[in-house]
Amino acid sequence: MNPRAEPADRDQSDRVLVAAMEARDADALARLYDRHAARLLGVAYRILGETGEAEEVVQEVFLHAWKGASSFDPFRGTVLAWLIIATRSRAIDRLRTRRPMVTSDAAGRDPLAQVAAGDDVEAGSAAREWETLCRAAIADLPADQRRALELAYFDGLTHQEIAGRTATPLGTVKTRIRLGLMKLRERMRPYWEERDA
Amino acid sequence: MHSERHEELVSLAALGLPLEDDAAEYARLLEEPCPECARLLPELRFAASSLAATVPPRRPRPSLRDDLLASLGPARRPDSRRAPVAGWAFAAAAAVLFVLIALDDARLRRQREELRARNFELAQAVETSRSDLARRDLRARVLESDDVRMLFLGGKGPQPNARAKVFWSERAKRGVLVAGNLAPLAPDRQYQLWVFVDGKPVDAGVFDADPSGRALFESKDLAAIRTAENFAVTVEPRGGLPQPSGPIVLLGSPSG
Repeated sequence: MNPRAEPADRDQSDRVLVAAMEARDADALARLYDRHAARLLGVAYRILGETGEAEEVVQEVFLHAWKGASSFDPFRGTVLAWLIIATRSRAIDRLRTRRPMVTSDAAGRDPLAQVAAGDDVEAGSAAREWETLCRAAIADLPADQRRALELAYFDGLTHQEIAGRTATPLGTVKTRIRLGLMKLRERMRPYWEERDA
Repeated sequence: MHSERHEELVSLAALGLPLEDDAAEYARLLEEPCPECARLLPELRFAASSLAATVPPRRPRPSLRDDLLASLGPARRPDSRRAPVAGWAFAAAAAVLFVLIALDDARLRRQREELRARNFELAQAVETSRSDLARRDLRARVLESDDVRMLFLGGKGPQPNARAKVFWSERAKRGVLVAGNLAPLAPDRQYQLWVFVDGKPVDAGVFDADPSGRALFESKDLAAIRTAENFAVTVEPRGGLPQPSGPIVLLGSPSG
């Protein structure tokens, strides 16, 4: 097989499902949903702090994936990242239209709806591998960089708002965001090298 | 090579933060001919998505899945099978046809001819439905095979914007091609997929693109080949040829 071809790697199975969705196979969408809906709902709920609205976001994201399956570019990241980016973007849009926002401390406290990372989705070892890599990368970030990224990513704060919230000069906030994201990018490099090989 | 300033602006953009006073400078950066810079934004978006791993998953209400699938519309559900409906219609039309022939009336004879035509259409619909189901089964077998691999094909020659992916199962010796941006062809022409084996093209079947330039195509059974090295698509006379003669419009990218 051509070396340019993708190896049977961590999200190959997801990509196959997206290709099948491109061919209008609704079963593929159902399987992708079974694998990742819980993860995406966790993200949407963390941002919005409200289950009903978070579920609306998840539904929108999968419809977006169904309609835009052909726009997925595997050289720009995994299927899961594609779905997460869409989820976060939609949730932040909703959050910004209903300021004042739910604080991040209020989010994620409903244990009834939470499920353990290992038994919720059918993503299997591939998703767990991704999760482990991400958590390790984030744990290695300096606390101030991680905090700046979390406030921007989950709470939808602008860099100016982060500066106000943390009593930090604006330039320092921008630097923390840059350094934090560049470090995460470096840690996720195996994904890029795999695709660019 | 991008500067720290570039990285800073792209980092803010990757998080969807409003650039405000920096927007003009960011717009100018985007216009610079720098492939590495162009890759930075999606890479940083991807990097930011790793933050999602710190959030505990939550189980959606069970009906959310049903709501999602219902919102696709019944026409798009894979389980909607037209064959039984067409089969009933076929049987009904045949029965009506029998009665009409027995009456042997001039007016009914005219109708009989119309029904014969309809009968033919229905028989074709039944056959098409059966064929669709068979193709769907085949696609499922290839796509769900645990050794399936994906190869990207880029546009070449007269169709530089064409693109395609081939999902290839070495075990099944079959592939599924999903293509887009294909140009319309003259009625006497068809696209032909080739599998390269030991550097030589092997016919993998012909296909047509739909009016929007998309195509979904299952290759022939290529059980005789040893292994697939690369894939290409050419434009050939309708029905295809044993060897390629027309221009290559899609080609995989073997690395040396």
